[in-house]
Amino acid sequence: MASLVLTGVGKRYGEVEALRGLNLEVGEGELLALVGPSGSGKTTALRIVAGLEQPSAGSVRIGARDVTRVPPAARNVSMVFQSYALFPHLSVAENVGFGLRARRVSKGEAGQRVRAAAEIVGCSSLLERKPHELSGGERQRVALARALVREPDLFLLDEPLSNLDAQLRVQMRAELKRLHQRLETTMIYVTHDQYEALTLGDRVAVLGDGVLQQVGPPEEVYDRPINRFVAAFVGTPAMNLLPVEGGRAGPFAVRVPASLAGRALEAGVRPEHVQLGTGDSVEVQLVESAGSETFLHLGWRERTIVARTGAGVRPAVGSSVTVSVAPGHVRLFDAESGSAL
Amino acid sequence: MARPSLPGARRRPRPERGGWRHIPALALALVFCLPLVYMVAGSFRKAGLPPPRTPELLPSPIAFDNYERAFELVDLGRHLLNSIAVAAIAVPLTILFASWAGFAISRLPRRAAAALVGISLVALMVPATALLVPRFALFKTLGLTDTWIPLIAPSLLGTSPFYVLLYAWSFRRLPGDLFEASRLEGLGVLGTWWRVGMPLVRPVTVAVAVLAFVFTWSNFLDPLIYLFDPDKYTLPLGLRSLAQLDRQNFPLLLAGAVVATAPVILAFLYVQRFFLQEHRELG
Repeated sequence: MASLVLTGVGKRYGEVEALRGLNLEVGEGELLALVGPSGSGKTTALRIVAGLEQPSAGSVRIGARDVTRVPPAARNVSMVFQSYALFPHLSVAENVGFGLRARRVSKGEAGQRVRAAAEIVGCSSLLERKPHELSGGERQRVALARALVREPDLFLLDEPLSNLDAQLRVQMRAELKRLHQRLETTMIYVTHDQYEALTLGDRVAVLGDGVLQQVGPPEEVYDRPINRFVAAFVGTPAMNLLPVEGGRAGPFAVRVPASLAGRALEAGVRPEHVQLGTGDSVEVQLVESAGSETFLHLGWRERTIVARTGAGVRPAVGSSVTVSVAPGHVRLFDAESGSAL
Repeated sequence: MARPSLPGARRRPRPERGGWRHIPALALALVFCLPLVYMVAGSFRKAGLPPPRTPELLPSPIAFDNYERAFELVDLGRHLLNSIAVAAIAVPLTILFASWAGFAISRLPRRAAAALVGISLVALMVPATALLVPRFALFKTLGLTDTWIPLIAPSLLGTSPFYVLLYAWSFRRLPGDLFEASRLEGLGVLGTWWRVGMPLVRPVTVAVAVLAFVFTWSNFLDPLIYLFDPDKYTLPLGLRSLAQLDRQNFPLLLAGAVVATAPVILAFLYVQRFFLQEHRELG
């Protein structure tokens, strides 16, 4: 178990700048969820930590060691790949013990450690099978066992749940969380699924366009997004972003501090903070029922506002409802820079 | 009326239809087998008789002593051992160097790999005969003529650029994550090639081994040019000696040809299961 410090890490591929000036610290035993849309640089960052890519700029420290130029095998990091990267010609036991064999650990000790790792992730009964005989969830467990058998300083997980079906993903997410709580290992979990990031991470780091946008505890990233990008990316459905004109943002009354008077502003309102029953009238355009909750798509002039309500609220499409928002639930952004104010 | 099926009852697999589709393949196989059949049949024909006017499948009388006489006339036993020795060295070296080169190409960045593939393709198009004179001059200068080294030397370059490309293409098809996982787990380039790459391209290795074996085994030109001492001759040169007998003694040549062909066929029969095995593991 070790901490990780990235200082000014950048990566260029010819003209394309995949990562710019990434400064990030991950504490010992922390699970950091690195989240961002496709092409945001999150996998590049993870590969740089693993040593599979060399940074064009900056440094990587694991614990007290500067590992920027250290080859992957000497970093004592383990990685779970999106594809699991299990060796198809080897049995589960051989896959799990692959790294131990490469490091010339004695057969007896390797066997013990393989069985212990398989026990932890619940794949003890699969040790004799080949990867093609396993389901997606089982392959994932084997990949996890292979990652933890070497007792690495750092666990890197690159979208490990993205190939699983929705039900299994929920189950494995909970198991991963439990595994982290049990092992207390430093983990970096890369995902494009912000819900996964919020539920799993002790802290969440949001990457966009190769730049670290915000890092903080999940509730902070969700409740107080640092800019428009984070506000729009984190949360399902995304935060409603409306231009502020004359003390109003769409149908909502907004209090603008005197210091911001005259600036072009945008107001962000989370769907669950849209209250029905008072305020301005809007037209119901679409009703999406998700079982325990309902999403209302509400038309206000040319814009659509999404409201999250209880399961029983199902106004007729085309009808009018009134909406408002409590002042404490409005986040203001600078319309030009996108920064939160 | 359709018969209702019991719940849970398993249906018997239907017999495979369309067996007639195999007829063209069987006809083609027959075309290729006929010369072999005539070669074996001819090798048992009594020597010294004029050649038959029509092909005969079963000669009468059957002369088993043709094989004995062929071995007496020419030192086929020694030539056979020489051929086995050359193939036993050249084929593993071909696999080693072709797979190394192919692995290197597959792991290089795309642009560098494309350049090397281009060079390999150009090399593939150079006719072997165009290099006969410079190669001979080179080996003569090095004092290596009348040794097996000129016969084995091409294997140090993978014998043919085609084999290198075959490996490069096969390694490229494997998921890159496997090689990266191997690196992270602590294996170097050679370890990754041997423990991850090679087991996953086993059918290609078998194909290259067979092709290289056939090439080495049937190589006539190189032994003819480089070998002067009859004790170092390989089987094709021994066969050439039998071919110089008069026409009535052609069964002796065919007996020698059977001796030369049998190892290739046996080798193919042994390795064909590797061709037929499915890539279930990669599924």
